Amino acid sequence: MGVQETNTAPSTANVRRKLDPITQTVIRHRLSSISAEMGEAMLRTSYSQILNSSRDFSVAICDDQCRLIAQADHIPVHVGALPWALKSAKEAFPEAQKGDVILLNDPYYGGSHLPDITALIPVFHSGRRLLWTIVRAHQSDIGGATHGAYNPAATEIWQEGLRIPPILLYERGRLRADILEMLAINVRHARDFRGDLAAMVGAAHLGERSLERLCDEFGASLVEEAIEAVLDAAEARSRAIVESWADGVYTGEAMLDDDGRGREDIHIRAKVTKRGREIEVDLSASDPQTTSFVNSSHANMQSAVAMAFAFLVDADIPKNAGTFRPLSVVAKPGTLVWATDNAPVTLCTSHPSNEIIEAIVKAMAPACPERVMGGWGRRFRLAIKGHDARRNRSFIWHMFHARPGGGASAGGEGWSSIGEWHSAGGIKFGSIEVDEARFPLLFRKHEFRLGSGGAGRFPGGMGVELELEVEAEGLINTAGDGARHGAAGMLGGKDGLPHSYRILRADGSSRVLKTKEIGIEIGPGDLIDVRSGGGGGWGEPPRPAAQTTAAKGAAR
Amino acid sequence: MTPSYRIGIDVGGTFTDIVGIDQEGAMTFLKTPTTPENQALGVVDGIAKLAARLGLSQDELLRKTTRIVHGTTVATNALLERKGARIALLTTAGHRDVLEMREGLKLDRYDLRSPPPEPLVPRERRLPIAERLRADGSVSMPLEKASLIQTARKLKEEGVEGIAVCYFHAYRNDRHEKETFDYLRKELPNAYVSLSSEVLPQIKEYERVSTTVVNAYVGPGVRAYFADLERKLTKAGYTGTLYIILSHGGVAPIEEASRLAAATVLSGPAGGVAGCRHAALITGNLNLIPFDMGGTSTDISLIAAGEAALSSNRGLAGQRIALRSLDIISIGAGGGSIARAEGGALDVGPQSAGALPGPVCYGTKGTEPTVTDANVVLGRLAADRPLPGRGPLDRAAAERALDALAAKLGLTRERTAEGIVEVINVKMADGIRLATVSRGVDPRDYALFSFGGAAGLHACDLARGLDISRIIVPNFASVLSAWGMLSTPLRYEVSRTHIGDTRGLGAKDLRALYDELAKAATRKITGKTPGEIRIQRSAEMRYGEQIYEIDVPLDHLEWEAPDLMDQVTDAFRRRHEALFTYSLPDQDIVLVNARVAATSATDVLPDLPKSTATGSDAAPHRRRIHLGSWREVPAYPMDALVPDQKIEGPALIEADTTTVLLKEGDRALVNRWGWLDIAVASR
Repeated sequence: MGVQETNTAPSTANVRRKLDPITQTVIRHRLSSISAEMGEAMLRTSYSQILNSSRDFSVAICDDQCRLIAQADHIPVHVGALPWALKSAKEAFPEAQKGDVILLNDPYYGGSHLPDITALIPVFHSGRRLLWTIVRAHQSDIGGATHGAYNPAATEIWQEGLRIPPILLYERGRLRADILEMLAINVRHARDFRGDLAAMVGAAHLGERSLERLCDEFGASLVEEAIEAVLDAAEARSRAIVESWADGVYTGEAMLDDDGRGREDIHIRAKVTKRGREIEVDLSASDPQTTSFVNSSHANMQSAVAMAFAFLVDADIPKNAGTFRPLSVVAKPGTLVWATDNAPVTLCTSHPSNEIIEAIVKAMAPACPERVMGGWGRRFRLAIKGHDARRNRSFIWHMFHARPGGGASAGGEGWSSIGEWHSAGGIKFGSIEVDEARFPLLFRKHEFRLGSGGAGRFPGGMGVELELEVEAEGLINTAGDGARHGAAGMLGGKDGLPHSYRILRADGSSRVLKTKEIGIEIGPGDLIDVRSGGGGGWGEPPRPAAQTTAAKGAAR
Repeated sequence: MTPSYRIGIDVGGTFTDIVGIDQEGAMTFLKTPTTPENQALGVVDGIAKLAARLGLSQDELLRKTTRIVHGTTVATNALLERKGARIALLTTAGHRDVLEMREGLKLDRYDLRSPPPEPLVPRERRLPIAERLRADGSVSMPLEKASLIQTARKLKEEGVEGIAVCYFHAYRNDRHEKETFDYLRKELPNAYVSLSSEVLPQIKEYERVSTTVVNAYVGPGVRAYFADLERKLTKAGYTGTLYIILSHGGVAPIEEASRLAAATVLSGPAGGVAGCRHAALITGNLNLIPFDMGGTSTDISLIAAGEAALSSNRGLAGQRIALRSLDIISIGAGGGSIARAEGGALDVGPQSAGALPGPVCYGTKGTEPTVTDANVVLGRLAADRPLPGRGPLDRAAAERALDALAAKLGLTRERTAEGIVEVINVKMADGIRLATVSRGVDPRDYALFSFGGAAGLHACDLARGLDISRIIVPNFASVLSAWGMLSTPLRYEVSRTHIGDTRGLGAKDLRALYDELAKAATRKITGKTPGEIRIQRSAEMRYGEQIYEIDVPLDHLEWEAPDLMDQVTDAFRRRHEALFTYSLPDQDIVLVNARVAATSATDVLPDLPKSTATGSDAAPHRRRIHLGSWREVPAYPMDALVPDQKIEGPALIEADTTTVLLKEGDRALVNRWGWLDIAVASR
């Protein structure tokens, strides 16, 4: 397929020499189609539920200068993080060869947190290393002290799981089987782990093959030229949007409840300087890092800032390095957003990601009021481990239900039961009927939590009330935040209600579930009473006399 | 032998297509305007015209008609335009919001400024009923009569026309839903009541409730329409059964289609896919990618090993409909897709000029250049040959629009036009690649089946881009749907959720389960078709911890053998390997849904008549078109092509409703019915 510039050749010729506005578009579509194809392959071949149902993975194409070229839209939380992993991989293996597969997960080597493993494959053409295909996926377990990596008791990263600095899993096409064995023996579900890793490497190889074919067809240098043009076009679009925002220096802050070890009201502070077509986000004034897993790694902080920016520009703008060129980030090592010295960081992709985004969006409210949105709910995980006497087997159940509410915006009210800033409707909660068929659980109630969305000209989305009966002996672990601070209201809109989780005991007593606890006993007749937080409202709520839209969320 | 007829009727947005086929296979077709306010008027009018064309009175024709099959868009339009019935939903207390929660998913993760969609039933009409079943079907809380009485009172006050009933675990035990039905029938005898245990007796509450709600929403309108149509046809002399083509490509009598109205939302396009499936069978190309490029969108589906790909993962207008339906993927690319300059680069679509304002060359107020305009400027679409329902095309206007765009891009008019075609082809190729890759299929193993007005000009380049080497173009693309309906055998499907570890299931239990389903399916089809009935068994299965089930055909098993269960698990493992490249020998396997389909095996359409074209006046026109440079190529009228005739590209082949472009190296062979069988030059 293709058309040449000259007048003589038939249009089926396949050699091109010059980049024109058409070739540029064709190559752009092919690149995004290749990343989408990698994502499809991942979805189809991954084994664990967190990948094939919850889609907690990302695929990307970067160039050899570590610039993001194309990324499939899966979970927003990875949007800006992958180039940092590539930087780290390239520092470790500056001479990476064809057939090499580099693996890493360490937050101090370009990773976000330990459960996210990243596979990177260099793509060669015409004897040069041009591009990289990258797949990152959240593993259902990564070893460490607790199942599933979320360990509220961790005070150093070694207690959170297996650390993988950049290593070669394949060397010039040859699997290093001893390395794989060493990794697999360190995680709790070796079979899932091997299956998911195979899926990741497979998807990255698929991308490699398609990119090689693209270079065969157009020539490597034309592809490179097209990439420059694609990045420049995205930059131009992005800068035009930034330019439309009011210049100024703005500040915003958001708070975590606590670190689970006694320190409360931990602040994230964003100072945003917007001048012309540039925007600088400075997080240096954020509180010092803590001794628990609520710290952020550097890559995760970069990603959270990129996510906030992506939410403020147009939804359909390509997620590539050009789009993010107007954005620069300043932060200080040793603060909560950039932990050092092997501090634990596992919670960071949810907290403080959510607070970083919210602080930036809040700061920007006066600059672009039509673009900011009320805060989205916080993550409050809950897992139950126990023995199912009826089926005579042990079980571990992770709660994805009772999603919090989304924030309202100039576009209208917030979505109810939709998730947090960092997932933004990308994580599906499973069927209750299926869970009841597989686990000793009875969901007495799972309905909107009325009045939980913050009031506003447009009210925030509602959280959920869940009454869950556990018909077995078990232990509960939690990991999350947002039981004291609700999602922020914007521009006069009110905050959403925070989470409230309790256990109502069979004997009539009750107990509050805190956001960072392990080993709470639960038994037959006890009820877990979950009320998830609502989203923040947008704009001043109407006065009682003219109560219309605002009443809607509360009245239902 | 007195002649007998079958009549196929496909109601589209603008035209209603009518096909009559006699027992020899001779085909007569015509188009008549669609009557949107009541589609039945256009249908009856079309049958009258068909009778006239055959030299019969309407009464005579209908008395000689053994079967009428109808594809309708009544349900589709009700959903798309949100003009369905005023309905209520009765749910298990504590679970009113399943419908609106949508499993916590939102399509565009970066769009945080769009408000949530309005559910088909607002919260105040989602009414909790005190009752609860457990996952094993046992009763945790009996249905409280008082709650039903109170609710019925509210339903009357609200004046609802339709009621959806969906209780937890009703797929396992339908007692509470049945009790509710009996009570509602007494209290609200005119309401359309839709039970989840009848519509979709399957586990997963969101899919079941959404499908049941859609059924209640479109049901009253569909039922009224079918009743009216049947009355009109009976009055006009028809005594046979009126069949409706359903979203899964099978046909069902109208009582069934009235009850399962949600299964008619893809009734329109289903005819087209059924036609492709039949084309696959009669041409012997069992692997086809149907490619239907129209004005605003391009529909792509898949025929693999002679069967149309089905999916339970579909919906329409943002509503989840988990009934199995043809897996048709729509791409926002068509003849009306608008080209524009964006940041110095050319892009095309997804915005479309549609039918109004339309492409610039239509002369109907369109100002932005479209794919059709590009084809006109390149001379590939002849301006002097009117499109159906339009006058000649305004080539000069198209050129002016292209020139304006070319100036912005700094390109020549021709290069811009070729670029538009190239970009839209890349978009469609991407769509096909994703559609096939996500089904575990390599497009290179398939032939492209090209139909729809805009398809012919793009098919060869598109195939080339996908390394597809063969294209088939039928010569009656415009009535393919109506023809396809008549080729569809009667088919009934019944299913039951079992959800159990295969290790806990004995061969005897499995046989009993499938025998019972086979009986139920056979009962439904008996008396509705002559001849033999074929039974097909399949299961939806998965590994214990997975969440997506795969379809496993079970027909080839030895059902009486003692190792039946081993055969079933083996069939699953092999299917899993074929789809996902691996299987997991030690993992538990779960059988989620057992399915049985009954099909009438002997009910086939007579062979197509041979082309009688003699090609006498077949000296082709010469047309000047742009293919990298301006050159003269021959243009053949398609209906004058003679079987076995060979045409070498570059050439145009022109029919009433489509034009096919062959490029250098592409070769078309005319088959015995006058269809084109194209060998595509490699790139």
